[in-house]
Amino acid sequence: MATMKFYCDAERCIECNACVTACKNEHEIPWGVNRRRVVTIKDGEHGERSLSVACMHCGDAPCAAVCPVDCFYTTDDGVVLHDKDICIGCGYCFYACPFGAPQFPENAAFSSRGKMDKCTFCAGGPEDDHSSDEYKKYGRNRLSEGKLPLCAEMCSTKALLAGDADMVSDIYRKRIINRGASVLDWGVNYDKAKLNS
Amino acid sequence: MLKQSLVRPVKHVLKNLSILVLLAFAVISQPTFGAENGGPEGVIIKDPGSELWRNVRQRQFAETNTQMKSVDANILIRTSGESWRNYRMNELIPRAGGALFLGLFGVFVFRLLRGRMNLPEGLSGRKILRFTLNQRVAHWCTAILFVVLGLTGLILLLGRKFLIPVFGSEGFSYIAVTAKVLHDYLGPAFAISLIFLFVLYVRDNLLSPKIDLQWLMKGGGLIGGHASSDRFNLGEKGWFWIAAIVGAAIVVSGLVLDFPIFGQTRETMEYYHFIHTVAATIMIVASFGHIYMGTIGVESTFEIMQTGYCDSNWAKEHHDLWYEKVKDSAINGESASSAVGSSQKESTDTA
Ligand code: HEM
Ligand code: SF4
Ligand code: SF4
Repeated sequence: MATMKFYCDAERCIECNACVTACKNEHEIPWGVNRRRVVTIKDGEHGERSLSVACMHCGDAPCAAVCPVDCFYTTDDGVVLHDKDICIGCGYCFYACPFGAPQFPENAAFSSRGKMDKCTFCAGGPEDDHSSDEYKKYGRNRLSEGKLPLCAEMCSTKALLAGDADMVSDIYRKRIINRGASVLDWGVNYDKAKLNS
Repeated sequence: MLKQSLVRPVKHVLKNLSILVLLAFAVISQPTFGAENGGPEGVIIKDPGSELWRNVRQRQFAETNTQMKSVDANILIRTSGESWRNYRMNELIPRAGGALFLGLFGVFVFRLLRGRMNLPEGLSGRKILRFTLNQRVAHWCTAILFVVLGLTGLILLLGRKFLIPVFGSEGFSYIAVTAKVLHDYLGPAFAISLIFLFVLYVRDNLLSPKIDLQWLMKGGGLIGGHASSDRFNLGEKGWFWIAAIVGAAIVVSGLVLDFPIFGQTRETMEYYHFIHTVAATIMIVASFGHIYMGTIGVESTFEIMQTGYCDSNWAKEHHDLWYEKVKDSAINGESASSAVGSSQKESTDTA
């Protein structure tokens, strides 16, 4: 089966935050929970770049390793999902995750966080596909309809890529070869690389 | 539908995050592309993305911004989560488990070697007030909270390994969420209780170098004959100071973890989780010795913390210097129980 991956092309991302908004809207995510966010490096300086990040669906997922109730599982598509009925909201996955992907609806006294929520690669959760339970807990299940995550699908510059790792990789490789170098850097010389279509 | 594909990805732990992140992007970010990848002949093209991600990983950028307001949201990649994962999974869990086992084993061996510590002269039937009602209440509040917090903490720590196979995923989830809620709400009560305990017991637990050193040289009476002691011997003082100092570390770190409302970063939380768990393990193992000595280890000891009164022979045997000071206050056994409420203040040496 496929191994699903995201990749954000920093040469293209324009920090419009549309992926963030699309995600929130598609899954009816509560305030304060951000399954995806855009981070800008060197904002306003030479070399500014933006990257859109969410759960990267790690191969050897740290969140799954530290979870005291072992509620994570990896689907046949390589998507890391978790079971909210099992989650106890301890926050450990958030400590372990390199990308800060796990999110919590609250952050209150006595360590009350509620159930963890994170990017599902638009693949729902353990409930029956397209059930109202699944929608309530995890949001839309697009993958089972043959659709890719909405954030990447609607990215206006196609900076955010999602899909089978090999295909994402192919698309990105072609871009780099065609670009020849960072198009955003000073002193780009398009002549140095032959442009092939 | 996806439940049948519950793949447990915990095969082996990657040694550092660079491998991990590379894994996430392995297929994507090859650093250079040339002819072998279908690019133009003789031209090596750098992938600007791989360099950017490498710099991000190594936190090369002083400032990063995002529109999200949550804690640490502007941090793209954080490698120390991986160290915390390694700490919790590869060090804390096996070592805490091992320490608990060794602690229990040590108590067992001690029992085999030393047997039950009986009073050579038996019970005299004469009672001396040893702990006031306040002291006993402080002791039992702290003790009960400690046991509950210790058990619930250990359920969170070791339950995945030992309880999920027994109760199943859902069953353990109920147990774990109960443990978490108890732990999170009773923790602050333990903090208060420990302060009372400290105040009520500290006076007689201050070290008195001469007596304590002698006690130590005689191994507490195990080697080299009877070891004299005042109200508390060095062993008891040791436990008191472990409870006070290690306990304070548990309390402070526990409160930081319990109230994540002050914008604590993940780094802070991991740091205090480290302190909390190391201190908790030390205190739990030490408590085995205390609990053994206070219950089945030494004849006629458990009832002292129940009634407040000790037998005069018990005092003579275990705390001779204290006995000399308070022996005149001894009363007959029968009147002791009725005197529990009234004669608290008579005791000369209780706080
Ligand atoms: C002021 C007292 C305490 C407070 C506020 C406190 C709070 C906490 C918090 C917030 C956690 C993180 C997990 C969770 O959210 O439930 C935790 C973990 C833990 N606590 Fe405590 N605690 C206290 C006392 C104790 C004591 C007395 C012990 C042991 C004797 C203990 C043992 C543990 C252990 C072993 C863990 C680790 C669980 C894991 O890593 O899976 N705690 N504590
Ligand atoms: S939540 Fe974090 S650690 Fe878990 S799979 Fe996603 S990116 Fe990896
Ligand atoms: S918050 Fe939930 S998913 Fe995350 S580690 Fe704790 S129990 Fe597991």
